[in-house]
Amino acid sequence: MEFRNKKIDKIYTIKSIICIFAGTSAGLIVYGIFLFFHIDIFGWNLGLIFAPLAAGYAETILADKIIGENIGAISAFILFIYTVIYSFILKNPTLGWNIITAGSIIVILQAAFPTVVNFILLSVFGGILSNFNKTIKKYEHKIKTRIKNQNIVKWETKDIEIDADALPIYDELESNMLLNDFEFYFITSSDIIDKEYDLIKLFHSEVIVEKDNIIQQSEHEKTEYLQLIRIKDGKDESLLKLATKVKNAGGNGIIDLTINYSLIGFSGDNIQITTMGMGVLIK
Amino acid sequence: MILTSSNTLENKKIIEYKGLVTGESLIGANIYKDLFSGVRDVVGGRTSRYEEEIQKARDISVQSMIEKAEQLDANAIIGLKISYDNLGGTMGNTILVTAYGTAIKFE
Repeated sequence: MEFRNKKIDKIYTIKSIICIFAGTSAGLIVYGIFLFFHIDIFGWNLGLIFAPLAAGYAETILADKIIGENIGAISAFILFIYTVIYSFILKNPTLGWNIITAGSIIVILQAAFPTVVNFILLSVFGGILSNFNKTIKKYEHKIKTRIKNQNIVKWETKDIEIDADALPIYDELESNMLLNDFEFYFITSSDIIDKEYDLIKLFHSEVIVEKDNIIQQSEHEKTEYLQLIRIKDGKDESLLKLATKVKNAGGNGIIDLTINYSLIGFSGDNIQITTMGMGVLIK
Repeated sequence: MILTSSNTLENKKIIEYKGLVTGESLIGANIYKDLFSGVRDVVGGRTSRYEEEIQKARDISVQSMIEKAEQLDANAIIGLKISYDNLGGTMGNTILVTAYGTAIKFE
């Protein structure tokens, strides 16, 4: 039984080699024809594409008839290597490195490995676009930070160089103290116990904060930190705007206060921070 | 520090409203976390890795809020609200966990 299996395997291997050989021969004939008749565009022979295709096709058809299955178009791969070595190394060793050479190599590779090459091309294209977008945003942020910092720091000293990459500091405790020093009651519950008050009306205030899309994994912590600071700043600003509105209406507090965060924009590029509650006059 | 989502504290008298206290934290934007979260626990189908991260973020938010209340000399937070908002992100989810309430002093 074992002997018979070995024999079958041997026959299968021989048949496969015959198919590969036949496919390679077909590819070489096609390549020869293309070379002989100079079928080329701007000096670039089309046989580089059609020869591996012909080899793979011939091998597949033959393998299907003789073995009854596909053996993977190995001859197309052999032809691909052969044509590249022959054309780019042996036939034209002085071939210069230019955009046509690079483009030709990509086209040849694409013909030989379409799925892999298309995937790589898409990845590269996507990567370039992302990187370009990120670079522009980085410079925009640098310029904005420089302008912002210059306004604040210039009067203190002119010698200090401002580092646009330095992370801003947000003092949460101080910020919270300042918010509550506003002589205003921010109350999240829906009632004030043991105090008399008059309801004024519903107030709301919105602040929109730009959202960072985190692309580079290495920078995600810094981006998250900056994002969180922007959100906290936005929240403080929204609360102050709300308090100002209530004060302008003659109130001195807000009850049932809620703070909501939601994504807005075409692809959720911004964060809307909404604060709302009932304005009251606490007696 | 007593934390409650209700308007008042039972059997306790509020003597002063100290002000608003908030706490925020962000989690996510990490492809590895997202990948691992896909490996769900067999029992119950829960993503324990994400649960842990969210709990951690909530703890940070609540702790930050408590610190601010302590600074205001409060001994309780009433009307407490905790929310979880998905802010999205190119490399996965970014979740903003916020906690806020009213710091009070009771006797």
